[in-house]
Order: sequence, then structure tokens, then C-alpha cells
Amino acid sequence: MNKQHLDSTPPSKGFRVSLFVTCLADLFRPSVAFASIKLLEQAGCEVTVPLQQTCCGQPTYNTGDYESTIPLAQQVIELLESADYVVVPSGSCAGMICHHYPRLLEGEWRDRALQLAAKTFELTTFLSDIVHIELNGRNPVKLPTVTYHDSCAGLRELGIKGQPRKLLRELCDTQVKELQQTEVCCGFGGTFCTKMPEISGKMVGDKLNNALATEAKILTGGDLGCLLNIAGRATRQGEDIEVRHIAELLCGDLDGPAIGEGK
Amino acid sequence: MTDSARSHIFAKLRQVSRGAPTTTLERELQAMGRAPGAALPCPDLCAAFLTNVLRNQGSVDCTGNRSETVKVVGQYLYEHYHSHRLVAGNDPRLAAMPWRDAGVLPRFGSVEPGEPVALSFARLAVAETGSIITWTGKANPAANNLLAEHHIVLVDSADLVANTEQAWDRINQDMDKSGRPRGINFIAGPSSTADIEGQLVYGAHGPHSWHVILMGDVPETALQEARSIAGL
Amino acid sequence: MKQTSETFLENASEALKDAGKAQRRDLLALFTPMVRDAAINNFENFQTLRQHVKKVRQHSLDNLDHYLAQFEQEAVRNGNRVHFARDGDELNSIVLDICQQHSARRIAKGKSMVTEETGLNDFLQRANLDVMETDLGEYIIQQAGETPSHIVGPALHKSAAEIRELFLDKHDLGPRELAETADLVAEARGVLREHFLKAEVGIIGANALIAENGYTMLVTNEGNGDLCANLPRVLIVCTTMDRVLPRAEDASAMLRLLVRSATGQPQTCYTSYYSGPRREQDTDGPLETHIVLLDNKRSDVLASDYHEMLQCIRCGACLNHCPIYASVGGHAYGWVYPGPMGSILTPLLTSLEQSAALPNACTSCGRCAEVCPADIPLPDLLRDLRHQEATENLSSTPWRRGMKMHAWLARHPRLYHALTAIGIPLLHRLGRKRGRFSRLPMADGWTSQRDFPAPQRKTFMQLYKARNKASRRRADDR
Repeated sequence: MNKQHLDSTPPSKGFRVSLFVTCLADLFRPSVAFASIKLLEQAGCEVTVPLQQTCCGQPTYNTGDYESTIPLAQQVIELLESADYVVVPSGSCAGMICHHYPRLLEGEWRDRALQLAAKTFELTTFLSDIVHIELNGRNPVKLPTVTYHDSCAGLRELGIKGQPRKLLRELCDTQVKELQQTEVCCGFGGTFCTKMPEISGKMVGDKLNNALATEAKILTGGDLGCLLNIAGRATRQGEDIEVRHIAELLCGDLDGPAIGEGK
Repeated sequence: MTDSARSHIFAKLRQVSRGAPTTTLERELQAMGRAPGAALPCPDLCAAFLTNVLRNQGSVDCTGNRSETVKVVGQYLYEHYHSHRLVAGNDPRLAAMPWRDAGVLPRFGSVEPGEPVALSFARLAVAETGSIITWTGKANPAANNLLAEHHIVLVDSADLVANTEQAWDRINQDMDKSGRPRGINFIAGPSSTADIEGQLVYGAHGPHSWHVILMGDVPETALQEARSIAGL
Repeated sequence: MKQTSETFLENASEALKDAGKAQRRDLLALFTPMVRDAAINNFENFQTLRQHVKKVRQHSLDNLDHYLAQFEQEAVRNGNRVHFARDGDELNSIVLDICQQHSARRIAKGKSMVTEETGLNDFLQRANLDVMETDLGEYIIQQAGETPSHIVGPALHKSAAEIRELFLDKHDLGPRELAETADLVAEARGVLREHFLKAEVGIIGANALIAENGYTMLVTNEGNGDLCANLPRVLIVCTTMDRVLPRAEDASAMLRLLVRSATGQPQTCYTSYYSGPRREQDTDGPLETHIVLLDNKRSDVLASDYHEMLQCIRCGACLNHCPIYASVGGHAYGWVYPGPMGSILTPLLTSLEQSAALPNACTSCGRCAEVCPADIPLPDLLRDLRHQEATENLSSTPWRRGMKMHAWLARHPRLYHALTAIGIPLLHRLGRKRGRFSRLPMADGWTSQRDFPAPQRKTFMQLYKARNKASRRRADDR
């Protein structure tokens, strides 16, 4: 399919997307990936999930082990580069592919990384800005009050700010209750949270307190790393706030337990 | 020790330097153009300058000529400090003013510890930053900017420029003519500090208050416009 | 200055225990970005200015030998004596020599991070000189025997009440209230004014060195630096060679970024350019002026992959916007420069070995790079330092091995999926009831601060393959 054509006009059915699930969704929250597939299909995309995928390499990259990350990045590029579009339900994994692969790789691999970067999108950006998902006669999802955590990589590497809010407005008829200092890190930072637990604990404590101050029933966001961190803190403190990924909210998947909640 | 340090450092710098000839460097710098400045709060230069002085926590006045100026200085002195005295540098422009007409008793020289009010005649003023510029020398000893509790500054509207680049053009012209002054001081407000709990306090080391009088060809509405833009 | 970066984690832990100080840091972390943002938003061409200054600075650094030589030549022509110092010890000795040549006893000192770096105060005091810091913040911490917690506001970690106690203790001025902040400022002003008037030598730093005319630029709000530069009969400017800019207008352009980023002001109260000793006609000013230019590994940095760090203009915005700096404060970093810029400079100017924890004190959140007026990719440089730690075996061995194992497994998808298909359902079943674990083996770091959410069910890959198989079977059945 001709991409330039797609950029200028709304996509038609049969628009091919490869989903990069991300390792955290694969292992901890499959519902995020299933919700992503459902949303993409609602938007008229044909979704495939390359089965050989594992991890984008962020953990090793961020600890400074570039040598181990390079073959991982190459593996991801080989796996995804034939797709028309790659969609990732995580700002940090999408940022890894879009920004850090080209920084990490050289020569021909760098060119291939840049080509992949050009067609890789974080989920809410893709739904909002590329395929312009609409309700198309479906009823809006009913949600209790929602606050949104801007994950750092998505916010600053990819400029994700308005997209999730717009989708919540349009698909769920929900206005986000903004939390104070929403652009400040939650203290996850990949391996940071286990390397420097006390500092991370202070940061996630602040983030949670700001979220609780909004009196929202649900905290959502686009990155499972942050959400696992915040949810873990919320249950540890016994706070009454559900933490769910934005993909789940947008497709109305609220039946199962929230992150860190039991059955 | 210093000589060997010097050659050691330069040897290291040369290793990474491009070694481009001066003409190339000059050309490259030229090609970069000039930096953008801050937008002026209003089109009129005088009003813009006065606005920024007010924003810098200065107080302002405007006068049309020298006799008006001495009157305004005299009033200001008496109103705020119940005094007729001030200290001013040996600036011929200040010496030529009819101080006695307004009952002002200037002493010409450097401010001594304990003297509360100093008067300077600015060389230049910059609308963009609301700052006045003096240079050190007989006409304005550095102490006069710093040691008094209160600093009054006269600015001739002919010496007002829009931005710091224009100020440097004028300073460079003057330096070509009269040499480099020891110190060039841009002043934009009374001395202040926020070093204790981030709380802003005036009169940290230098003057507590800073009063700027713009004189000469100033539009009648400038002062009012400045006050309204600055929200006063 | 004595370095305690090695114990960053312990320092941080101590800092977090002091609730009062933590609360003050939280307030500053809320307030300082707000004033900075307002100033930047008011200045409409921030990005253009940032890129312009970056180009000029890069040009200066690319041709530093040229501009430094030009500056030196002009500064000498202006009547200065210019000295070069390879390291902190050399700078300290040069300064002491000058003081001793003039039989000076009293030194009035303006704020200078460079002399914090070299430990100049201690050095001069050991030689029985009476050195007094005159920037209010620096004065406070000097009296308290502390080090700066912030490069712009060195004493912001102290409460007004603490400062009041300090002044009552240190100033022999009889009984008094000192109830207001203004009273504290006034008292320090009085004490310092006396020192200014008696000091024989003034020492200041410089925010820029101007090659075309040999002037040094100094920016302050208090005016203390100007008193140091104008009252004593000898002036010594201590700074580093990377401060050189080609022209005065370049310094002005850089200032537009610096002040807005540092304090949210459009400009500081005092911006002063000094060229040398008093002229023939002058009635005041120093009779002799010296400029000491310190290298202290900056020439190595210039030649390294970290050369962008030399673009830093010391505004402190990265500190104000860093959630880790906000959490633990400047002292935890254990040297002169804290926060993101400090976590890069400290390893570069001391050693990576001594400060291995610092590059890890970063979540790569990118807020520092976003606000950095010099457009330095701080999180990338921090990551590169972590890379260097990994290469030089400075990071912990179990960590490195764990990461390598993860990467190896991730490169073998079949094995990865097979193993996770066993582990994840197991973990799910163990944690299903509560949905989380309060403790997990090998995850103390995580569980010490928060629960570990249990996996939702099987892995996505298991479920997805099963779903595909089922739908294929349905298709076959039809």
C-alpha cells in the first residue's frame, strides 16, 4: 500500500500494521496487547503480530550495555522492517526504536533503523493522528473519573501529550483530571527503580499522591513500566485507585482486575 | 610554572582545534547572524524602556529639559529621604546642571561609606532589558553604583537603544575613540537576593532602591503607557 | 573539595530522612520550573536563540586555541596578568602567591564554582588568610561549614530559622530578633560591607571571557561580585578556559538564555564587564588585576566524546528540573556540581571510579535536556558514562551478568517464549489471589518500595497462539 497516499487521506480497510507487543505487555498484561489489536481493527487496520518478537533492548541499553543491545536492535529491525506500519503500546519502546536505534547503530544498520523509525508509532499517536479512529456508531466507553500519567519517553521523545487525552474524550467521553506535576517522572526509569530504590520510592510516592489528589478512580497511562510502578505503590499503601493501561480503557476492557489487583 | 602550564594547555587545545585561519573564523561568525532579542513590550522605545525599568523594580520619571530634571531630582530627594544631598561623579554633564535652582546640594566625587544617595548619568540605556549602562572612571566611580543606599540614574533619551547588540555597537564605537574603560556596568534594578528560602529581598549589597529619570525627547504618554503595561 | 560521591546512595538515604529539608526541596522543585517556564514562554524566540548560541559556542570550542590566545593577548593589552593552571593545585598556588606578594590578609570573594572545585578557600585559610565569601548564599554555607547544595542558590537547603540561629551564633552583635528574612539580609550586608572595605584582594569568577576585547563578564543580582571587583586594590578573576566567546554580543546573547534559565528573570541586576586595572584618570578600582585560567581536565573533555558538556553555561536549570536532584538535594552528589550536569562533570573532572553511582542517578526522563539552554543531550551523555562503566567493569558484576543474560535470552525467541511460558503462568498462579507480591526473591529493590504486580495470566504469546489455533480450527471446521 502506498504510504504517501495514506498520510494524506484517511486509511481504508486492509491497512497493514505490525504490532510490537513489548515484553512487559507480553509477560505482565496481555490484555494491553489484545486491546491494542482490537482498537487497531476498529480503526480499520489489518493487524499482524510477528511471533519472533521479544524485547526492544531498553534494559540493556539504559544500563549502558550497548554491545548486548546492538544485536537485539538488529533483530527487531529485521523482524519489523517489512511492515507498512509498526505500532507499539508503549512510548518508551517506541522511543527506543525511533530515537535510540539510530543513535546506537552505524552504517547500513543505521539507515535501516531510520527507515523503521519513520513508520513506527506509539499506539495513541497512531490511533489519533494517523488512522483517526472514530466511534463509528459504537457507544462511547463509560468510565469513572480518570487521571493520566505522562510517561517521560512518550512525552519528550515522541511528543505524546494531546493524543491520549483526545482519544479519551472522543472514544470514552471522558475529560482527564490532570494531576499536578504531570510531566515529572514517576521514578520507574527501567533498572533505576531497583538500583536506587529509596529515591525511586520517593518519586513514585509523590506521583501517587498527586494522582490521589485528583480524586480520580482510575490512573491510566501509555507505558506499562510506569503503571506497574505506580500500581505497586498504590497497593502497597492500600490506596483506592485503579491503574490501567490506556489501551484497555479505550476499548472498554474494564472487567478484569486492574494492575496489581487480585481476583 | 605558569609558562609550562600555558604551553601544555595550548598544546592540548591545538590537538583538537580545526586550525582554521582567522578570516575563515570571521566569515563563519558573520554567517551566524545576530541572536534574537526579547520582544519590546510596546513599539515606542521610551515607553518600552520605562516599562522594563518598572518590571525590574525600579521607579521612573520623565523630564523634558535640565531645569525640569533638577527639580524632579530635588523633589525625589526630599520626598523619599528628607535630604538635599547626593553624591555624583565628576561628569561634566552633571556639573553643568542648575542644581541650586532646585535646592539640591551635590558633592562631586566617589561615594564614601555612609553617604545614602548617589546620582549617575548613564552612558546608554537598553529598552530590551530595562538596564542602564555606566562605565567606570572619574565621571562615574564604580563605588557610586554600589555603595549608596539609593541610586538615581539620569538617562538622555538620545542614549536609549533597543537591544544589547545596539548597545555594544555604541560601546565599541566609543572604545575605538576613547579606549577601553576599566569596567562597563549594566544595571537593571536594585541589588537583590533570593538566597534565603528563595524569598526576594532588595538591598542585598548594593542600593535598596533604584530611580531612573529619562530626560529629553520623551513622548508625553510614555510614562503612563509604561505604568499601564507594567500593571502599576 | 573533599569528594563523597562514592557513597551517593548512603548520602541520598540520609537526605531523604530529613523531612523538613525534603519538603523544602519539593517546594523548590515546584516553584523553580514555574518561573523558568514563564520567562522562556515570554521570550518568543527561545529555540532560535538556543540554536544560535549553541552554534557560536560550538564555534568557540572548535577553535578554542585561537580564541583563548586572542583573549589572552587582549587581556594582557588591557593591563592584566594572565595565568594558566593545569589543575586545582596550580590555581590555588597562583592565587596564594599573588596574595602573599601583596602581603594581603583579607580576601573578599565572589561566588565561583571553579574555586569550589579547586578548594581555594581551605587552601588560603591554611595559609592564614581571612577569606570571606560575599554572595549571601555562599556566605551562609561558609559560616555553617557546609558546601553548596546548588550551583546558583548554594544555601537553598537551609531554612530561614537555621540561618537565624547561625547568624546569632556567628555574629557578635548582641541580643536581637532577626525575625524577618530582610533582617537576615541586612545583617549580612552590614557584616560583609565592613569586610569589603578592608579587603586587600578581591576574587571573582567569570560567566564569559570575551576574546575580541579581553573583558571578563560577571553576572550577579546582589552586586557582591562588583564590590569584590572594585574596592580591593588587587583583583583576581578565577575561571576556566571554556568560558571564552568571540565577541561581546555573543556574551549578551548567551546571557539571555542564562538568566531566564537560572532564575526566571529577563536579566540580572548587575551585568559587569571588567577589562583590567584602574586607568590613569580613574578614581577607584584595583591597581593590579590577574586572570587565572584553569584547565582541570577540560582539554581532555574537549577531545573526548563528552565534549558537548563544555557547552554548559552553569544555569542550574537541569538541577531544578531533575526529580532525583529534587529528591536527594545537592549534597548527596558529593562534590561541587550536583544534578544532571554534575553527574556528568563529576566523573569527567574527578574520576568515573570515584563517582560511578552518579551516572546511574538518572531515569532518562529527559526533562533536563528539554530545558537545557545549551541543548546538551544530558541523558545520552549519562548513558554513555554508564556504557563506559560497563566497559571498564565499574558497574556491579551480577548486574552486568544479569543484563547480558537477559539480552542473550531475548536474542533466542524460541527459548525466550518457552521459558516465559513456564515462568509467567507460575508467577500468575502464585500471585493470583492478591494480584501482587509484597516480597519476591531477587527483587528487593522493587519490593522494598512497592508491591510487585503479578502477571495477569499466561503470556500474551501463549494466549495469542492459542487464539489463532482456535480460530484456524473453526475455519477448518466450516
